[in-house]
Amino acid sequence: MISSLYRIFTIGRNTLTESIRQKVLNVLLIFALVLVASSFAFSGLGTPGLDASGMFDAQIKFVKDAGCGAIGIFGFLITLLSTAQLIPQELHNRTIYTILAKPVRRSEFLLGKFVGMVLLLTLCTALMSLAFAATLYWQEKQAVEQTEAVYDRDSRWKADPGRVADYNHDVAGIVAQIRDPQLVEAVLLIYFKLLMTTAIALLISTFATSSIFTIVTTFLIYLIGHMEGTARDFWLASGANSSIWQSGLVGFISLLIPDMNSFTIVDEILAGNKVPWTHMLNLLGYADVYIIVLLAVSVVIFDYREI
Amino acid sequence: MESSAPVATPFAAETAGLTKRYPLTWKRKVLVALDHLDLQVRPGEVFGLLGPNGSGKSTTLKLLLGLIVPSAGEARVFGLPPDSLEARRRVGFLPENPYFYGFLNGDETLRFYGKLCGVTGPRLERRIEELIELVGLQNGRERPLRSYSKGMLQRIGLAQALIHDPDLLFLDEPTAGVDPLGSAQIRDLILRLKTMGKTVIFSSHLLEQVQEVADRVAIFSLGKKVLEGSLESLLTENQSTQINIPAELSAGQQERLRAAIAQAGVDDRDVRFTRPHLSLEQLYLRTVQAQADLASKNHPGK
Repeated sequence: MISSLYRIFTIGRNTLTESIRQKVLNVLLIFALVLVASSFAFSGLGTPGLDASGMFDAQIKFVKDAGCGAIGIFGFLITLLSTAQLIPQELHNRTIYTILAKPVRRSEFLLGKFVGMVLLLTLCTALMSLAFAATLYWQEKQAVEQTEAVYDRDSRWKADPGRVADYNHDVAGIVAQIRDPQLVEAVLLIYFKLLMTTAIALLISTFATSSIFTIVTTFLIYLIGHMEGTARDFWLASGANSSIWQSGLVGFISLLIPDMNSFTIVDEILAGNKVPWTHMLNLLGYADVYIIVLLAVSVVIFDYREI
Repeated sequence: MESSAPVATPFAAETAGLTKRYPLTWKRKVLVALDHLDLQVRPGEVFGLLGPNGSGKSTTLKLLLGLIVPSAGEARVFGLPPDSLEARRRVGFLPENPYFYGFLNGDETLRFYGKLCGVTGPRLERRIEELIELVGLQNGRERPLRSYSKGMLQRIGLAQALIHDPDLLFLDEPTAGVDPLGSAQIRDLILRLKTMGKTVIFSSHLLEQVQEVADRVAIFSLGKKVLEGSLESLLTENQSTQINIPAELSAGQQERLRAAIAQAGVDDRDVRFTRPHLSLEQLYLRTVQAQADLASKNHPGK
């Protein structure tokens, strides 16, 4: 058991090394540029007036939206393009023969590849989150400075306890919006959605004959996964009008394709609505179960594949 | 599913009726890549698989490694099913035209494969030192494999195949695309492995090299083994007799000997004093051509 885990981890670490040395992380430089550019672009949204209260709300919301959106999009690109390459590249370079000729089970090879992608996504999400946090910190600094500038128009405001209390209230509002602990939940949800996408792409690549097929099919499943919730609600809401076939089809698709739409709860978080941790844990549990099922099916298919 | 229990056998590798068929669905045909192969290789032997492209050599190696599943028949490695971890701990494999991971250097490559085989710590580092020396890759330890020449790739390939000190080595075209010098180095390595008691099963197109290192060979054509035996038995002309006389005969002595042979009732006109040998190349071409002629006679449209 331990030796099996060791082999899986060895293959996983090699997959991560490959991604790093093939300069996959360079994509994150573009991410950083997008983040900085959006931060500058939205910094004009605050309209300083005599009352500083709430003037940075829209600006902070846009930066948070842009940050989480960019983490999701760049993470999706990294996971889709990297996972689709994993097995075809091993087959093309014949490295798979040298590995499977060693005392390594096929399941260990496949799980090792998945572990490699998990490590890569963890690293990428951590780095992107750090860049996001740095951008938010810069935004906070700017907003606090600009708030102070508004108050400084009255040079005696610091002597007025009422104005000082207002200032403290405004700054506390900015800090609360920027240092929102719910952002951790948002990033965690995006991360688990990426892991699910990896598991889907890996499953498809176990029988696909080209990377393009894997990329296109995964993308389609990703889209269907976003739409299936709406379809299910529509068919089920129509009650008696929906035939048993329609209900059956929607039920079958729900079983086959993970419901990606559940993860749009990130938008709720960004809108400032509280999402309880119990709901979060339910979603993460759903993702875990789906990932395990997808990996189990992948292992079975890959076991029978002629290489 | 094959049982993983070892079967008592004196052979390092053996096959019985081993067959691999690939259905060509779109052509409604079946491609027979290997047809009822019976083969036995003893421990310590260097065994050569010869044959033109597509004759079934690589398929045989892949079946013996458990990389593909046979359509019929059975393969065993040291009495074990080839896809069992126990069997794989005892075999090493160098695939044809290996690429490996171009982003790893020589040491990292061996470390990676070593860890997969359960070789770790100081034992692994010692093994890497030994193998780098054995294959002569001291100048490639720190270089990424993407900058390696073809010969260097084959040598690191041999080193990774040996990392866990296997008893049996499968080498698929180990000298393909390598220059004559690199090729000679690989031949010397195989001979060294033989002196170390390893069993080597390899496929090759370079017949002279096969002749230099192999104890026995099998010639394949169109998925079938058409000839098998020791080089000595295969390359000896049985229709002639060679008389070894440990002395240089003068012309007069040769004439008297010829007369004596004539007196014994043998036509003395064709008597020569050397033992005729076929070259392996002649044998190979003759065998493969005969098989192809037979096939075209049986299936004229093919």
